[in-house]
Amino acid sequence: MPPNKKKGEMEGIDHRMVKVNGITMHIAEKGPKEGPLVLLLHGFPDLWYTWRHQIIGLSSLGYRAVAPDLRGYGDTQSPESFSEYTCLNMVGDLVALLDSVAGDRETVFLVGHDWGAIIGWFLCLFRPEKIKGFICLSVPYKPRNPKVKPVEGFKAVFGDDYYICRFQEPGKIEEEIACADPRRVLRNIFTGRKLGPTILPKDNPFGANPNPNSENIELPKWFSEEDLDFYTSKFDKTGFTGGLNYYRAMDLNWELTAPWTGAKIQVPVKFITGDFDMVYTTPGIKEYIHGGGFAADVPNLQEVVVIEDAGHFVNQEKPQEVTAHINDFFKKLQDKDNNKSF
Amino acid sequence: MEKIEHTTISTNGINMHVASIGSGPVILFLHGFPDLWYSWRHQLLSFADLGYRAIAPDLRGYGDSDSPPSPESYTILHIVGDLVGLLNSLGVDRVFLVGHDWGAIVAWWLCMIRPDRVKALVNTSVVFNPRNPSVKPVDAFRALFGDDYYICRFQEPGEIEEDFAQMDTKKLINRFFTSRNPSPPCIPKTLGFRGLPDPPALPAWLTEQDVSFYADKFNQKGFTGGLNYYRALNLSWELTAPWAGQQIKVPVKFIVGDLDITYNIPGTKEYIHEGGLKKHVPFLQEVVVMEGVGHFLQQEKPEEVTDHIYGFFKKF
Repeated sequence: MPPNKKKGEMEGIDHRMVKVNGITMHIAEKGPKEGPLVLLLHGFPDLWYTWRHQIIGLSSLGYRAVAPDLRGYGDTQSPESFSEYTCLNMVGDLVALLDSVAGDRETVFLVGHDWGAIIGWFLCLFRPEKIKGFICLSVPYKPRNPKVKPVEGFKAVFGDDYYICRFQEPGKIEEEIACADPRRVLRNIFTGRKLGPTILPKDNPFGANPNPNSENIELPKWFSEEDLDFYTSKFDKTGFTGGLNYYRAMDLNWELTAPWTGAKIQVPVKFITGDFDMVYTTPGIKEYIHGGGFAADVPNLQEVVVIEDAGHFVNQEKPQEVTAHINDFFKKLQDKDNNKSF
Repeated sequence: MEKIEHTTISTNGINMHVASIGSGPVILFLHGFPDLWYSWRHQLLSFADLGYRAIAPDLRGYGDSDSPPSPESYTILHIVGDLVGLLNSLGVDRVFLVGHDWGAIVAWWLCMIRPDRVKALVNTSVVFNPRNPSVKPVDAFRALFGDDYYICRFQEPGEIEEDFAQMDTKKLINRFFTSRNPSPPCIPKTLGFRGLPDPPALPAWLTEQDVSFYADKFNQKGFTGGLNYYRALNLSWELTAPWAGQQIKVPVKFIVGDLDITYNIPGTKEYIHEGGLKKHVPFLQEVVVMEGVGHFLQQEKPEEVTDHIYGFFKKF
């Protein structure tokens, strides 16, 4: 996208602060006030900014796109204790946000990527009647195992250096990120093509050459220096602890979501991933997605899309394709709704 | 009573003692504070005769079920998690539900967060109170009724336990169970429960045997488990933000005694009879106020309460 055009369109995105569930939340929004509302949820270590192409694309198609900085990120408040980063807190924020921005709409469309996908799954479990359809990027549903806590489970399967295990100790990985230089780490995370499972060895976790699979050291076309600057400046301001607290609250979250053991997702879902995504390429995931497990847990799973030559940040790597997939799915659901009312 | 089976079920990380009897559609009975499965002794026998499988657990923190030490293990999510685990382990998809006192609060929340697991609810004594987004519950009680309000007095770990320990547990049980004073219970620290006048003679519906049963269990276990539910009220409030504004979408019948403290909390009668409760519980089908009946209605008037419950569940 030519820089001038991009800048102009980015200026068309509105930013404001909303009081929700005891915190102040920053949201980016664009699109006709009465258009169908699409709530876009980013992941780790990300921001509303991940959705810049979708916000512009969807709004031009008549949707009202709303993308918050989630609790712990960017210009949204970051409570101190990791115990305030359970999915109950997150969904509490989002329900309050919808109360504030959704107006008369009874249902909204939902898009989630990475941790935003996980929160999306919980929003679908807790308040299914609010969600017309859910587009899940990268992270499929993971039903609660009543016998095994998540961190212990990951450790058993992938070892101590699995990134989720390495993220647990408060302050530790923050130190390592600081040593490896946040800008370099962010660049590695966004543009890397290392297949899963993501292991961070204690010695030199982010490596001298963080991209063993990449042939050159130039940024890819879809991720500019400007983009990297934006992320670096935001994370320099807030640090990474807010985002890391989601991982540190995983076991507590597991304890608190006992009531949903065995529960299925009833909302219509479309799942999209890139074929080089480290989640998709983590052992067990492909089998779950394509082998029937996913469909059994999500009976209304309508489509599974694997986008070729795309990594984890598929919404940034292949923005037009992803926007088209989103519109396609939501349009189908909208049409179904309209037909029902005849 | 000998026909009632007692089993221990492993659920949600605890061992749960369950009393059960009968075969047929399952009814799950949830007791309150300071109570036990035993509260439902009459209903267990009657419903077995009526062709149901009646199940009454000791909830987490009570009787022969486990009592995790920290108040933070007693949020509404923990208790509902225990019950979903219980239903899963019994292979019950959808259950008939009956709640009383704290068990009623648990029942409201089981219906709120897993309506797919409940066929119908008969709830007693405690109405559904929608979450106030600006005020935590304990803070609200303190503002309304003062620091001596029993819920406020129950907050500090160990404090009220010390007061209770200075009393004969049988007298304490008697006082809790037979009180007919409808005003909000405020117990100044200087007086304590121990300083209250001796309760009158036992009513006909509560025998010495009954009181001994309760006293034995609470002497064994202590009151901390049950008190922890009150200590987790504010935390539960924080964690139930996702259901702000949500209604309870299960068919409901509500029963309360007109001498029950809860019925006499200012505003409650209007809330129940003038549409407030129905707004939050749109499938509220019947409300019954039992004349001359106090808080422990299922023990005071067991046949009447059984009839009310049966009359409702029969419809489904």
